[in-house]
Amino acid sequence: MNRRKISIKRELPTATLSGFVLSALLILTILNILLQNMPHKIETAGDLLLKLNTTEGVANAVTTVVVYFRGFDTLGEISVLFIASMGIGLMLRSNTKCNIKSESNFMLQTASKILFPVILLFGTYVMIYGHLSPGGGFQGGVIIASGVLLLLISDKAFEVPHSVIVALETFAGVSYVLIGLIGLLVLDTFLGNFLPHDISQMGMLLSGGIIPLIYIIVGIKVGSEMSMIVQNLIKRSDDV
Amino acid sequence: MTGFIILSTFIGLIIVSFAAIIQKKIADSIILFMGVGLGSVVLFYLFKAPDVALTEAVISAGISSLIFLMALKHLGEQK
Repeated sequence: MNRRKISIKRELPTATLSGFVLSALLILTILNILLQNMPHKIETAGDLLLKLNTTEGVANAVTTVVVYFRGFDTLGEISVLFIASMGIGLMLRSNTKCNIKSESNFMLQTASKILFPVILLFGTYVMIYGHLSPGGGFQGGVIIASGVLLLLISDKAFEVPHSVIVALETFAGVSYVLIGLIGLLVLDTFLGNFLPHDISQMGMLLSGGIIPLIYIIVGIKVGSEMSMIVQNLIKRSDDV
Repeated sequence: MTGFIILSTFIGLIIVSFAAIIQKKIADSIILFMGVGLGSVVLFYLFKAPDVALTEAVISAGISSLIFLMALKHLGEQK
């Protein structure tokens, strides 16, 4: 027992650990000094953004921040999702189809036919009204993808054609960048709001300039990517 | 009243998270993870962030758990 204790003590990298602790303490001290000398602008960054929100004529402040003030980040997020979808497609790359052997339940088959149009409608609503009410492109896209998932589970033969997904995704990605480039040409900022966005129109469906357009594009892209992920996981098998 | 609901949801969330960690089967812990997502939807809504609540409801409680389950099916029951 005693021997074992000694050997554990020897294996512990005490020098490295104490070095880590010391450097962490030093960094904390420096950060503390830096933060105390900062002006108090940090606390009001969110309030400043909220004040700027009214200039874009969009009722939902979160949408303005996500799509307009941080529009470039949203482009990056969509690319991350695209890479994830691509990775899943690559990992399950064999073409052996369909490891669902049993027929699905009769109730599931009937209910999915009734529910799918409702889910599609709700997803589209969440997507289009993203600049007026909570929701938006990401949520609407994933709702549509969950409708596709319901169809995939209930019907063995159902499959979204690969060409449709490719067309939708390419259209969405290209038009997002194109809108950004038009903003760059017209207003000298990437993703500049070049369409009319009057404050008097705030709360209407056609308001906010390019912001609802971009959210619809994001919805199309997210929906097609998530559908592809789900379809790859259900339909393909990586063994054999 | 709202404070009481928030507090009880917090405590419930912690209990469900622990239960999700200590499960033997991975499928059970994925289903409990769905419960964690559901609790955080309630919390986000009570903290006046309906956008985040909607995202959490759709992504975490809905599609991400199903993706986990399908990935588990692909990996097989490994001990």
